[in-house]
Amino acid sequence: MQTASALRSSVRSSVRSFASSARYQASPALNKEFKIYRWNPDDPAKKPTLQSYTIDLNQTGPMILDALIKIKNEVDPTLTFRRSCREGICGSCAMNIDGQNTLACLCRIDRNPSKKSKIYPLPHSTFLIVTILNPLNTFAFTVYIVKDLVPDLTLFYKQYKSIKPYLQNDNLPEQGEFLQTQEDRKKLDGLYECILCACCSTSCPSYWWNQDEYLGPATLMQAYRWIADSRDSYGSQRKEQLQNEMSMYRCHTIFNCARTCPKGLNPAEAIAKIKLELAAD
Amino acid sequence: MASSMILRSTLPRTFASATGRNSLRSVLQVRAASSTTQYVPGGPILKGTVNDPTEFPPPSRTHGSYHWAFERIIAASLVPATAAAFVTSGSSYPVLDGLLGLSLVMHSHIGFDSMIVDYVHKRKFPILSPILTWTLRSATVGVLVGVYQFNTNDIGLTELIAKVWTA
Repeated sequence: MQTASALRSSVRSSVRSFASSARYQASPALNKEFKIYRWNPDDPAKKPTLQSYTIDLNQTGPMILDALIKIKNEVDPTLTFRRSCREGICGSCAMNIDGQNTLACLCRIDRNPSKKSKIYPLPHSTFLIVTILNPLNTFAFTVYIVKDLVPDLTLFYKQYKSIKPYLQNDNLPEQGEFLQTQEDRKKLDGLYECILCACCSTSCPSYWWNQDEYLGPATLMQAYRWIADSRDSYGSQRKEQLQNEMSMYRCHTIFNCARTCPKGLNPAEAIAKIKLELAAD
Repeated sequence: MASSMILRSTLPRTFASATGRNSLRSVLQVRAASSTTQYVPGGPILKGTVNDPTEFPPPSRTHGSYHWAFERIIAASLVPATAAAFVTSGSSYPVLDGLLGLSLVMHSHIGFDSMIVDYVHKRKFPILSPILTWTLRSATVGVLVGVYQFNTNDIGLTELIAKVWTA
């Protein structure tokens, strides 16, 4: 009996190892180089550098995040990045991949091995890029790098909080919940899906130069999400807050936000609608 | 949070000395308090704790929606004004010519002013920014006077462009 079960388990394990090795050995190694931004706060005098890692794509998942996790697990455990859901709903793994702000978990690896993939943190959190772009403008470093691909989004969250992103209505319904027509609910489509990954705000040139005063596309789209909500009665106060030179009117309809959004939303359109509502006010 | 504050205050300075741009930076960047943040070399120190929201400047429709609407109306009306200048002659419709000159100058003024607000804002450049703002204002007034003189005493804007075009 004992020998039978031992035999069965050994057969099973050999079958499994045969199956897995067959899968891995079926395709030859497809080595691709990844150049990843590294900066260590424990060694602040050392300039940020791009570090190269070469991994076999045939032993990696399809997405950039899979490559990052593989590098961290198998090559360099000091590589630091944020990640959580790996399916594009948490917004943690927002970074600049081959020049485009996007979520690493939604970004496929380009399988051309001759092309190197460059991975930076969200822009204008980086020392290097700013210095090349504008050697005189030292004001641009306002988002900080915590380490490697991890930016400090404190200001981004403080700005999001400033627009009061919650329902405000003093006239509560006598019983039950607030009711809304289907048409009114439809106005929130394309607004509520935002996961606040900060890809759009950090791709906006106006936000690069004036992020301490300008709210940025992500926050402004959420501002409109609450202005447009039929259940909210503080629309006029919400609009009044934006009646100044800096908070919203630094938007020059550049559309980088709509172009980069990994969720396919259009913050520029939401800002245009706020502008129209303010002008008609 | 305490560690990140230390990070904020020490790191940029280390960078600055490492790149040797410290002297340049201190000339160009004067520490100035603004409504929400204070600038130090390398970036602002955020006001309040991480849980405090940022603040809004006092509301002003002149700087907000009125400015925006005015800017868009001028920009949109430049299209028919330019078309009208094409089909008519400036000397037979001097009012049209004057309107075109005026709105062109206003349009450029708003555009240049927007550049100053974007890139050379007073909170970052407390000396340079007012100099540029007043240079722009005096230039606009000068050009307006010039356009008025040219349109009343000379051939006018549309005729000039037509002449240069065919020259």
